[in-house]
Amino acid sequence: MRLIGTCFLSARGLMMDGKLICQFSDENWLKEAYGMLQVDYPKFYKMDNLSKMAFICTEQLKTTGYFENLSDEEMALIFANSCASQHTDMKFIHSYTEQSNPSPSLFVYTLPNIVTGELAIRNKWYGSNCFYILPTFDANFFVNKLQHLKEEDGNFCLCGWVESKLDATGVIELEESFLFLVSLNEIDKEGSLINQLQETLTDYRNFKI
Amino acid sequence: MSRSVFLSAGTLVTPIGVGLDAHEKALEKGVSGIKQYPEIGFHQEDLFLSKIEFIDQDRYNELLKSALNDFLSLDFSVEVLRGKTKVIVSSTKGNIDALPFDTFESTRQILQDIFGAQIEIEIVSNACISGVIAINDAANYIKHNQFDYVVVIGIDVISNFVLYGFQSLFAVSDQPVRPFDKDRKGITLGEGCGIVVLSSTGLDTNSVAYLAGSSSNDANHISGPSRTGEGLYRVVERVLRSAEISADEVDYISAHGTGTLYNDEMESIAFKRCVLECKPINSYKGFFGHTLGAAGVIETICSMLSMKKQMLYRNLGFGEQGTSEKLAIIEQNTPCDIDVVLKTASGFGGGNAALLFKRIV
Repeated sequence: MRLIGTCFLSARGLMMDGKLICQFSDENWLKEAYGMLQVDYPKFYKMDNLSKMAFICTEQLKTTGYFENLSDEEMALIFANSCASQHTDMKFIHSYTEQSNPSPSLFVYTLPNIVTGELAIRNKWYGSNCFYILPTFDANFFVNKLQHLKEEDGNFCLCGWVESKLDATGVIELEESFLFLVSLNEIDKEGSLINQLQETLTDYRNFKI
Repeated sequence: MSRSVFLSAGTLVTPIGVGLDAHEKALEKGVSGIKQYPEIGFHQEDLFLSKIEFIDQDRYNELLKSALNDFLSLDFSVEVLRGKTKVIVSSTKGNIDALPFDTFESTRQILQDIFGAQIEIEIVSNACISGVIAINDAANYIKHNQFDYVVVIGIDVISNFVLYGFQSLFAVSDQPVRPFDKDRKGITLGEGCGIVVLSSTGLDTNSVAYLAGSSSNDANHISGPSRTGEGLYRVVERVLRSAEISADEVDYISAHGTGTLYNDEMESIAFKRCVLECKPINSYKGFFGHTLGAAGVIETICSMLSMKKQMLYRNLGFGEQGTSEKLAIIEQNTPCDIDVVLKTASGFGGGNAALLFKRIV
């Protein structure tokens, strides 16, 4: 398998393949990032932050050109984070405890796998997909899953670490999204892929803007 | 390189009781865990639930411990604890009463207390198809010779969070759930825990041979199933192809059958497209309600019990065909040669998953 491209998004900026694509000045940096993409997809505005981040990174990764001419089952999705849909969970709890009105539009986003659902809808991907909860980003975990996937029909896998984490008082402590696209059938050393992923994420997190 | 995979039932904890024997009897007699509870809805409506009454505090953690305790009483648990073992937990919300602040920490702690601090734990949180995916993932670790045993635990508990959420979507029935029936009105919420073990040899006389499994997305809507059953159709076709089993060889289908208008309709269309509409089929939601992330594991165990007894168990709550494609819903317990079982699940986020297993003769 071979790493085709990586993308990282946080309030600091959008980066791809190790390079800064843009910084954000707006407090609503997700909206700013969406505007920068110049795509017309109004459903974006209804998404929770996890889905928005994954959407932006996926659109950015399309510039690799690998998404064109894929058959509709060729792309598998493996996503994970450490705190599931914590941010939306809090908002949904608020809707029935404080506002006496449980919100159906929030409730549907209280499942982390809505992220992969949104990407599948946007791109008409019918491949296999799953969302996992891990204590921290673990390149080993992803590469292991990719090895299992190689036996299935898919040729590509879009992987993601998408986090919207609260501190103990319920304020957002960390929001980041790290997506990477892997070609499953090209030959490369898998041991080096693990190191490459772990180092890439560290570099992105420490990127000096 | 690729090893055979076997699936062995561990335990079930649901309102029906603790352990496989209690559930076998309930399936035979058609006993449901569903009861009416007064004024529990968001607007103080009386609603039906399949709720475990013998656990009243710290309900998620206590349910997990109760299932693990029963699991530890099984003969084969000794070797599972001793071997190279991994645990996969399948749950939509985990310790939900502690949300938004317990995202599976208590789960990991309880498992480490039993399996040791070094135990590898994987958590699948993929809505209502989590259980089937967890079993498929476990099979991959065995197939690739990475572990001796993978313990799969499906668990979810009832909470105001989920009840109010489904009520806000108008998806909760005001009567006990009626999967595939023409008068179905929605889900009945349930809770429970199921444990299965995957390994490279069968662990007891009721173990079955795992054949194949996969997942697929509808790519249609985040909370509504596809009108054409696209994702379910594709994943069933993929799993049959990968196991080199023809639709004709499937003896019985353990469907998802939530009892909502759209889900059951979607399943009927998908099974028709797979030419499986004549195969005996049921949903276990009439026994246990919808146990969400636990459903795939609990229902796989029930269909293993069905295979063990060579008995098709009736679809509780079903009276009259109510889907545009007619299915062979099991209306009475019926003795049957059951060699190949297809288990499916569908859920929010457009997810669909399936697995196939075979009787060992």
